[in-house]
Amino acid sequence: MTVTITQNATCTFCGCVCDDIELHDDGVKIIKTKAACSLGASWFVNHTAEKLYPDALIDGKEASVDDAVEAAAEYLHRANMPLVYGLSNVTCEAQREAVSLAEKIGAVIDSHTSL
Amino acid sequence: MGGKVSCTLGEVKNRADFILYWGGNPAECHPRHFTKYTIMQKGKFLPEGRKGRTMVLVDIRETMSVKAADIFLQVRPGKDFEVVTALRALVKGNRVDTALVEETGLKLEQLQDLVDRMKRCKFGVIFFGMGLSMTRGKHMNSAAVLTLAAEMNAFTKFVAMPMRGHGNVAGADMVLRWTTGYPFGVNLCRGFPRFNPGEFSTVDLLVRGDIDAAFVLGADPGATMPQPGIDTLARVPTIVLDPKVTHTSKLARVHITTSVTGISSPGTAYRMDEVPLPLRPVLKSPYPSDEEVVRRIIAAVDKKSAWLPKPATMASGVM
Ligand code: SF4
Repeated sequence: MTVTITQNATCTFCGCVCDDIELHDDGVKIIKTKAACSLGASWFVNHTAEKLYPDALIDGKEASVDDAVEAAAEYLHRANMPLVYGLSNVTCEAQREAVSLAEKIGAVIDSHTSL
Repeated sequence: MGGKVSCTLGEVKNRADFILYWGGNPAECHPRHFTKYTIMQKGKFLPEGRKGRTMVLVDIRETMSVKAADIFLQVRPGKDFEVVTALRALVKGNRVDTALVEETGLKLEQLQDLVDRMKRCKFGVIFFGMGLSMTRGKHMNSAAVLTLAAEMNAFTKFVAMPMRGHGNVAGADMVLRWTTGYPFGVNLCRGFPRFNPGEFSTVDLLVRGDIDAAFVLGADPGATMPQPGIDTLARVPTIVLDPKVTHTSKLARVHITTSVTGISSPGTAYRMDEVPLPLRPVLKSPYPSDEEVVRRIIAAVDKKSAWLPKPATMASGVM
C-alpha cells in the first residue's frame, strides 16, 4: 500500500471552505486528515473511490450512463416548465453548465439559497 | 445582494476587534470559523489575538458557541427584527421605548451597551446565520442587519456577512449572478431571466406543482422539502445527479452517479466571503463528474429541435 500525501487540500463541507487540509490516501480511501475539524475529517474519510452504486438508474433499474443521459435529455426537452435545482455540493464549473442547460431547455434554476 | 457592505475573512482576521454572531452556532456548524478566521487568531492589527477582540453572540438559546462569547444576548424567538430595529434607532441616537425592547427578551441597557461597543470599535463585523435569515421575518431580517452594518459606517468601519453552509452554495449565488444577473430562483422559461422569490423559488414551485420536470444536482430535496413538494417530484419526471443514491433518486425516473466534489472531481468552490478557492481532488473516481454529465445532457438536448419559436413564426405573430 502506497500512501500519497496531499498538502493544502480544500474541504467543502461547510461555508468555511478550509484550504489548508493535509490528506493521506491509499488510492481508494482517505486514511488520515490533518488540520480538518471533526465534521471535515469525517466527510473526507467517508467518501471513497470504490464503486458502491450503479452507474445509473432508469425507473429504478440499472442502466448505462449513455442511456440515462438520453432519457434525461428526452424528459427535459419535452417539459414546458422544467426546474433545475440544487447546485450546492457541486463545483462552479458544474453550476455554469447547469445554467447553460437551464437556458437551453427554458427552465427555472434555483439553489438552496431560496429556502 | 447588491450594495452589501462586506469584506473577506482575511480582513476579519487582521482587523476585526468587534465580532457579533447573530442566529448561528459556529462552534458546531462552522467549527473552524473561530480558530481560523475570527476570534482566536492574531492579526496584523490585533497582535493580542483573542484578548484584543470582543465577541458577542445573539441567539434564541444557549448553544455550544456561548462558551466562546464575551457577551451573550438571548432574544425571544421571532423577535430578531425588533432587536435590529431598536439597535438602528439607538445607533442614530433616537429614543426607544423600554417596554417595546423588553418584549424581545432583552433590556434597553443591554442594547445601549452593545451600541456603545459597536461605535467604539475600530472594525466591526456581524456574521448572521440561519437562525436570523430563516426565521420570522426571513430576508427582511437579513436586510435589516445589512442596513445596520451599513449605517454603522457613519461612526466606524463595519461590515456584515451571512454564514453560508452547504458546500458551494455561495458559488451557486455567484455563478447565477454573473450568468443571469440574479442570485437564485431565476426563471428562463421565456428565454430571458426573470426573478421573483416566492413565485420562482423551488419550494413554492414544488408545493404548487407548477413544474413538469425536475433536474436535481448537488442536493436532496426528496429529504428536505415539505411533503406536497416531494409528491410533485415523484409525479413529474425527475432526474438526479449525485454521488449517492439519495431519497430523491428513489423517486426519480433517472439517476446518474457522479464523482464527489472536491474529493474526486476538480473545480472551484466559493468560501462564505465570496473568495473562490481551487479544489484538490485526491481520489480517482469510477464515476464521471457532475460537470461532465451535464455537458453530455446538453449535447443530447442539442440534437433535438429548439423549443423557442422560429424567428419567422414570431414575425408573423403566430406564437
Ligand atoms: S474543515 Fe471543518 S470548518 Fe473547515 S470547511 Fe471543512 S467542515 Fe468547515
